[in-house]
Amino acid sequence: MREPADKIMTAKEAIGRFVHDGDQLVIGNYTVGSCAELVYEVIRQGKKGLTLYSQSGIFDVEVLVGAGCVEKLVTTYVLRAGGKKGGSAVERALNAGTLQIEDYTNFDYNARMVAGMHGFSFMQVLEGVMATDLFRKRSFMGEDKFRVIKCPYTGKNILTVPAANPDVCIVHVQRADKNGNAQYWGAMGSVAAASLASKRIIVSCEEIVEHDIIQSSPHLTIIPAYRVDAVIEIPWGAHPTEVLGYYNIDPFMYGLFMMSDATADGLKSWMDEWIYGCVNRAAYLDRYIGRFGSEILDGIRAKAFYSAPANYGSAFTTRWDREGRERFMGLTMAELEKTFQERGKLYE
Amino acid sequence: MSKPYTLQELLVIAVAKEIHDYENVILGVGLPTTAGALAKALYAPHATLMMESGIIDFKPLLPLNHIADAHSCRGFSYATDLFSAFTMTYRGFVDVCFLGVGQIDKYGNVNTTAIGDYYKPAMRLPGSGGAADFMSYAKRTVLTMLGGNFVNRLDYMTSPGYLEGGDSRERSGLFPKGSGPCMLLTTKGVFRFDDVTKEIYLSQIHPRVNVEDIKMEVPWDLKIAPDLSETPRPTDEEIEFIRNFAPAQSAGRELALELTVANMMRKAKVI
Repeated sequence: MREPADKIMTAKEAIGRFVHDGDQLVIGNYTVGSCAELVYEVIRQGKKGLTLYSQSGIFDVEVLVGAGCVEKLVTTYVLRAGGKKGGSAVERALNAGTLQIEDYTNFDYNARMVAGMHGFSFMQVLEGVMATDLFRKRSFMGEDKFRVIKCPYTGKNILTVPAANPDVCIVHVQRADKNGNAQYWGAMGSVAAASLASKRIIVSCEEIVEHDIIQSSPHLTIIPAYRVDAVIEIPWGAHPTEVLGYYNIDPFMYGLFMMSDATADGLKSWMDEWIYGCVNRAAYLDRYIGRFGSEILDGIRAKAFYSAPANYGSAFTTRWDREGRERFMGLTMAELEKTFQERGKLYE
Repeated sequence: MSKPYTLQELLVIAVAKEIHDYENVILGVGLPTTAGALAKALYAPHATLMMESGIIDFKPLLPLNHIADAHSCRGFSYATDLFSAFTMTYRGFVDVCFLGVGQIDKYGNVNTTAIGDYYKPAMRLPGSGGAADFMSYAKRTVLTMLGGNFVNRLDYMTSPGYLEGGDSRERSGLFPKGSGPCMLLTTKGVFRFDDVTKEIYLSQIHPRVNVEDIKMEVPWDLKIAPDLSETPRPTDEEIEFIRNFAPAQSAGRELALELTVANMMRKAKVI
């Protein structure tokens, strides 16, 4: 049972209240539409000692590691800027000994979230990995990175991964209502599992919508209200990545980031300007438009391609017909009550 | 004095009061749906009503035909699947669930599968459906027994109550701490479970019933609450809600069926 607290707040309040030093933090989004503004707020608040779960690391993991928020990283894929001559925050931190990493396959990582989402303590994964260094090379998880058990039905060796239940998930979606029902569509990836596996959930969205919208499209809801701790409306909240139906990826800002990320100094000056230098997303957008004009953003705004509405209607929504007769018994309320009386059904 | 009411209305209200505001509630068909609708309208507006078919956070406008009846509402908040509905219960996100009873024993263990020999049943009942898993992992279970029996020994144990009583449910290590049945409703009274022994006892008695009537239906020496009370009289607001929402529920199954058939015959003659 949840407290009747108001869940609508700012990113600053949400990250301040629900993300703590030393937490296991999962970025709920996968490759597209990363929760950029929530990530930036974690950095601005200088959170430390995080164990970061990321299905597929892009600029989001780079800036969190570059800012020194992360001690341990569980992932399947990291970004490297500038090819052979370039570099990455993850690579630099590994070399400096300030970051430990566990590498999984996409499937293994997702299986850990699915196990966590359903309350299972482990999940069977695809055993081919046992022939690789993904299985053999282990860091902070040690023996518990993978374990092998015997299938009780076939006798075959089965590879398993432990469930993950991160302390807190940050996730960006298209829309949510004030209760926290979060709707997301497009590449489903592992977004729902990462969110639902977590103990606390912070949702940012492009738009907060009326509950009626949610009620008429429940198939789009990926996180039910009762699981959500905070709802933050952040237009352009995933920029420079893309949100289907709202905007495309911004190759210009992404390019600026990639050019900077190859060196520690470059990344620091990029973060000084675009993360530390902007108190929130509105300030970030002001700075962006101030420096580059609004043409780039206007050019990546989505043109509408609406999904066909699904009909959730039924024949009637009350047991009484237009003449006030109960549909099956054919009686009005007065007639029904008279029948109750005659049959001795009523307790005076 | 509030307006006259039917026994069925009294039963719905007794069950509805087990739903508290902001709780997550798994509903079953029949009396629990009407109770859920009543609770959401009058006592627990922020309760999240759910069904194991994956319909989450709905407001019933009609009594449900079955546990996958999206025709009973106008949309809902979250469409998930059966597997996830059970695992969310397993993880502790369901506060209260409602289950029907065929046979019940002293410690709230329940049979909804078969009367007599399981393999050659005198009466084959529906089975578990969601019952065994919900009763295992919901924080509380409200049981309703409208046609069933108290027995010393179940013919088949479908759903786990307090096992052998005392701390045996907790000691088994299979269930969340503090979970288990919290109430049994019958047409004669409301029963609850002793905090320590987990033995069922009579807690409330419905009007026009006396304790001896109830004791006769229980094959052991039924314990009676020292502060035994009469089930509270419904308010006009409660009666009116139920009668409008589920008139057939107010009438009770037999009368509703009789009136429905009579109505159909009348219509057939007109044609």
